[in-house]
Amino acid sequence: MKLRWYWFALLLLPPLLAPALPPFGQRLVILVGVYGLLGIGYQLVFGQLGALNLAQGALFGVGAYAAALAAPTFGPYAFVVAMLAAVVVAAIAVVPILRLRSHYFALATFALAALVNLAALHLESLTGGANGLVGFAAALPRGLPLLAFVWICLNGAVLAQLKFLTPRRAEAAFLIREAPLVAATLGINANRWRFRAFVVGGAVAGLAGGVSAAVSGVVSPDATGFPIMLLCLSSVVLGGARHPVGAVLGAAIAVCLPEAFRQLDGAWLLAYAAATLAVVLWAPQGLAGLIDGPEPRPLPQMPVRLMPSTNGKRIVLRGVKKHFGGVEALAGVSMEVGRGEIVGLVGPNGSGKTTVLNVISGLEPADGGTIELDDRHIERLSAPVIAHAGISRTFQSPLPGEGRLSGVARAVGSGAAFLLFDEPLAGANAQERAELVMLLERLRVAGYGVLIVDHDMALLSKICDRLVSLDRGRVVG
Amino acid sequence: MILNALALGMAYALVALGFVLALNASGAVNFAHGGLVVLGGAAAVLADTWTGLPGPLLLPLVAVMLGAAGMIVARVAILPLLQRPPEATFVATIALAAIIEQSLMLTMGSAPRTAPSLAGSGALEIAGVAVGRQPLAIVLVSALLVAAVWFVLERTQVGRRMRAVAADRAMARAVGIPVARYVLLSLALAGALAGVAGQLLGHQFLIVPTGGSGHMLRAYIAVALGGWGSVPGAVLGALGIGLFETFGAAWLSDAWAEAALYIAVLVVLSMRPQGLFGEPAGRRA
Repeated sequence: MKLRWYWFALLLLPPLLAPALPPFGQRLVILVGVYGLLGIGYQLVFGQLGALNLAQGALFGVGAYAAALAAPTFGPYAFVVAMLAAVVVAAIAVVPILRLRSHYFALATFALAALVNLAALHLESLTGGANGLVGFAAALPRGLPLLAFVWICLNGAVLAQLKFLTPRRAEAAFLIREAPLVAATLGINANRWRFRAFVVGGAVAGLAGGVSAAVSGVVSPDATGFPIMLLCLSSVVLGGARHPVGAVLGAAIAVCLPEAFRQLDGAWLLAYAAATLAVVLWAPQGLAGLIDGPEPRPLPQMPVRLMPSTNGKRIVLRGVKKHFGGVEALAGVSMEVGRGEIVGLVGPNGSGKTTVLNVISGLEPADGGTIELDDRHIERLSAPVIAHAGISRTFQSPLPGEGRLSGVARAVGSGAAFLLFDEPLAGANAQERAELVMLLERLRVAGYGVLIVDHDMALLSKICDRLVSLDRGRVVG
Repeated sequence: MILNALALGMAYALVALGFVLALNASGAVNFAHGGLVVLGGAAAVLADTWTGLPGPLLLPLVAVMLGAAGMIVARVAILPLLQRPPEATFVATIALAAIIEQSLMLTMGSAPRTAPSLAGSGALEIAGVAVGRQPLAIVLVSALLVAAVWFVLERTQVGRRMRAVAADRAMARAVGIPVARYVLLSLALAGALAGVAGQLLGHQFLIVPTGGSGHMLRAYIAVALGGWGSVPGAVLGALGIGLFETFGAAWLSDAWAEAALYIAVLVVLSMRPQGLFGEPAGRRA
């Protein structure tokens, strides 16, 4: 990721000009830092991976309580304790819910946040109940040192995110977010990504919570409440969920807007919510993205040198069965694909061609039979593991904004020695067909094993070494 | 007490039913659904002060008003985002929920209100057992509405088309169903149910602008437990929550009952992501 020069003004001017501001202004600058940090942590898991995490606010609260409890003993190191506490809670809580998708993940994290809020309210001996905790702030830095600390952390987080999101990682995150099946069959372990993003995001939220405790001098159950989560979500959406400074811009608006609307008390929340809605509808890339203008996503390119990076000599299917309810999609399919050969898989619609690819690539478990890669049984392995073992694939429909051959380029680029292509030519123009035919020849020479599904018999019989013909889930020739 | 639990559960069932209709129509969580419930309560209070009609006559009025509100939700936050990932609708409706909450806060203040009752207060004596009039009325009205929705969905052409849109939007469009109109219709129905539930709940429990997320969360939990997209599952899930809240609060403290509910949600989601009676594949959402 790159950052336009003018955004450095947003990152550097507030802390540099802060010494000239009255204490009230300095407090606002600290708060922008706090919510900016909270939002940056959230950008990873929500913006990059698209996981609707509703527990980020609760982790902020955990950090605030941890800092308040640790301050008398640890002094300024209470901020470290705040981070660690949020990390521990995040790491333990997220494991059982990692495999949940979209709304289930949102609900599970919501329940988690509600539990943290209940604990803050009712574990009175630890949290002080509804009154919260007070009298710890003297042990923590305040004023300008605190301001410097939080803005150094914020700038560090922005730079770390810029460094971390190399084009390769940004592409992986894009696939996890927009095309989870493609990601899985390229060997991207989405659960591991989500776990790490959740925990790292939680650490940053915990730090932000700790600093907020130091600013306000009080920690009450409000710190764990849903309004904080709402503020975090809408400021990230408003600023730009994937823009490197989107969270900072969103936080600056969230902190300064109430000051501008001070005489209208609650109205700023209304304005903020309306602005968030407007951004979701008309500027999904957020205000920062709107200022930068559109930036096209780089398309996957075919690697210059074709060279598989995985081993394996042969995929062998023996008696593979798959049924959906009462429909027998595969009724004992046996076939094999070796390195250096191109095998065409043909048959009428509904004969089970795509199901064969799904079962080999691990997207659907076989109900019977075995699939071996050399001596290794792979029929029970997950899609990312199979991809790492050296089998990658493409899907029928290209991703939005991509050409027919982008998926092929991605699969080849993964380094897998075996490539499964699902109708790569459907709807392709003459030039794309010629390109693909040339590519297949090169893949054969380079020693890849290719299984290709298509309807164009003339083309397949020309380029394939063998054809396997399926009818109603059976190999017929 | 059983009747109270049942009344609470049935009112939640109306909320959950509307939630699941909107979910099926749009393929996305309508986070503003709880806001519509609160809005229903507020509309009942307003309609009462304006017209002074008795509670049962206010009910259809509130349903119509909230049906319109549901259509506005569809126009603003659901229809424009149909082609985007479900997260976009989620965030848009979260913003909409905040807009509803803040608008109510500005217009009616944070002081709690009470909606007019449906059947007067006090109790009837049926077979020697004292039965509260309001809970009984809630159970009857809700049961009637749940049955009516079931009838529409299962036995009419409109309902079949709504289910077709829910099952596969692209396919429904391909066979010539005007998808946008059915999404609007589903949201209108969802809003009307939410409005009725708002008035029913608003008499026994207070109407506060910030109450929306609680309603939304219960409906969400009911639907997740009952099985994503399953209409009977949502009703059963909501009844379960009503029973759980009433008896749980009697045996445990309120806080523990609430905590137990969330823990139950987490356990169910991590063990059986498809819900208790749910569809086997979790792919749809």
